[in-house]
Amino acid sequence: MTASTPATIGLPRALLYYRYGPLWRTFFQSLGLKTVVSPPTSRKILDQGTALAQDETCLSAKIFLGHVQELVGTCDYILIPRISNFGRWRNMCTRFEGLYDATRNVFRGSGQEFLSYNVDVLQELEEEAAFLTLGQSLGFPPKEVKKAYAAAKKQEQQVWKAKLRAQDQLYRAQGLKILLVGHSYILDDPFVGKVIIDALKQSNVTPIRADIVDRNAALKASPKLSPTCKWEYSRELVGSIALHRDQVDGIILLSAFPCGPDAMVNELLVRRLKGIPVLNMVLDGQSGTAGVETRLESFVDIIRFKEGSL
Amino acid sequence: MKIAKRVAFPRYAEYNCALKYFVEQGLDATYILQPALTRRTEELGAKYSPDFVCTPFKTVLGSMIEALEAGADTIFMTHGLCRLGYFGELQEQILRDLGYTFDFVNLSEYSTGKKRDWLRAIKRVNPKPNLGKLTLRAWDTIKMAQYLDQVTDFYYQNCGFDATGGQYKQIYQQFISGMYTAASKQDIQVVYQRAMDKFQRVPLDKPARPLRVGIVGELYTVMDPFSNLELEQKLADMGVEIHRWMSITNRLVHYPGENNLNPEIRDLCTYEMGPTSTANIWCAKKYAQQGFDGLIHIKSANCTPEIDIMPVLQNISSDYKIPLLCLTYDSQTSDVGLMTRLEAFYDMIDAKKRVRR
Repeated sequence: MTASTPATIGLPRALLYYRYGPLWRTFFQSLGLKTVVSPPTSRKILDQGTALAQDETCLSAKIFLGHVQELVGTCDYILIPRISNFGRWRNMCTRFEGLYDATRNVFRGSGQEFLSYNVDVLQELEEEAAFLTLGQSLGFPPKEVKKAYAAAKKQEQQVWKAKLRAQDQLYRAQGLKILLVGHSYILDDPFVGKVIIDALKQSNVTPIRADIVDRNAALKASPKLSPTCKWEYSRELVGSIALHRDQVDGIILLSAFPCGPDAMVNELLVRRLKGIPVLNMVLDGQSGTAGVETRLESFVDIIRFKEGSL
Repeated sequence: MKIAKRVAFPRYAEYNCALKYFVEQGLDATYILQPALTRRTEELGAKYSPDFVCTPFKTVLGSMIEALEAGADTIFMTHGLCRLGYFGELQEQILRDLGYTFDFVNLSEYSTGKKRDWLRAIKRVNPKPNLGKLTLRAWDTIKMAQYLDQVTDFYYQNCGFDATGGQYKQIYQQFISGMYTAASKQDIQVVYQRAMDKFQRVPLDKPARPLRVGIVGELYTVMDPFSNLELEQKLADMGVEIHRWMSITNRLVHYPGENNLNPEIRDLCTYEMGPTSTANIWCAKKYAQQGFDGLIHIKSANCTPEIDIMPVLQNISSDYKIPLLCLTYDSQTSDVGLMTRLEAFYDMIDAKKRVRR
């Protein structure tokens, strides 16, 4: 593949997309490549993902496979990075280590080609080097790839900073504030997290997302609550709780069934967070929202009752 | 000088004999050996564990409670590369919430990448360890684990063809109890040698080309006979030669490493998918290439890395036309269900072999 015949890169709208979307899109577009993103999660996407996945995989990974299926045949490559760690005590869940290879094995007979980049800082493979290899494997000269990566990184920072600023406003909002603790790919997914956010807003509560946080500060704060927690994303959430628990009225721990790290970290948080109402919620792919709404309402009522406003 | 500490580890296959040797001979402390794993252990653990952690978490927690009941005052917990690395912190919290008082040495807290930090963990038990002796006993401990793996390997490859109806099993059990009472390097050597000599003298009724099954799977469940409902014994008793590469010494001491194994499985996977994934994929492929009659994949419920290699194993199975049985164990798995599936699997691979002959 050369730059004269632009390839189309498919980006599954699931898991890492919600963190790296701006980076990926700008990177490929700067190189003159087209990107195609799968449509927002729907019942159909979840169902086709469930049919492809092993029974026991987490809801988020099933949704991911559904998105990949949606893209198969519509693009030259589908991007699935392999991210192992960002250094010591900064690991990813093993699912992200195996995602590229597992998906490739599932779609082996489809003829679809996949694209990957490998971040493994403990093995001295940093993100920038990974993108350089990725760009070169697509036939671009190193200089051009470096430029594209720099542009992508800049765009990523801009988007992220705007998000952080908007988030800071929320902590100053009047009325009841609840910290929503969940991975970005859960909270951002219209089929999973959005249901919760909408329901909270309807009960006149300001939901504040724990995943949008100054990441360095959060990583620094996380050992206060859990010293041996080693998963990057969990540490950001745990640190976010440590930083913000005094600014909110309650905490909702939101995880997708059966998320490996969350199953343990959230159990520990429930045991260690004293003096603040905590709701531990596990979401699966059920279609009805009535059960979820009832639990949220009663949680909000408990907080209001406790604060004397009910 | 004898240290007053009463140290315990969770039960894990028969490796506790090696841990016992290291604590008693290397650290000069008392080792508390809690009862072997039983239904009670698993129920205790499951009762206090979060629902969807992997089964070994529950079994290990139950075994810790049984160690405390048996009088231990110091519990060791290992670190690990998957969720195992976080077991310790959560288990300690659960035990503290239950009201137990004890010292907890969580090796995850000491896995900083520097060797001298392991020594800090050891000093929690013995503040003034004799380093020379400690090193020597550590070597003995590794040797013992190695013998244990070697004898276990040999046992499951042959016990299904024991013509005497029980001598093999008896020798293996004597070997295990010998290792639990070994107090010196010589003891370890003698117990090992005696077992191997005795095995040689047992008449075997083994066909020239017996049914061979290769077993791969998750670190804890694949090695622990209680956790896998004695799968290897059950299958061996049907007259099958059992091969299982995955063992503590193979994975930790003799491991060829990602860089050496990856080129051999490059057609199936590009990267290391998890802590035992590369080894299991490599092993499964090797068994398939060597013409084994079947593959069995063992894992506990909710084991993320092992779930993710299942599509790869399924592709190996279809590439090499080798039957694959995937077994997931949770704390409710019954013996009878397993037996039915194993018998069906045996009948299938046996019939396949007859047709091909």
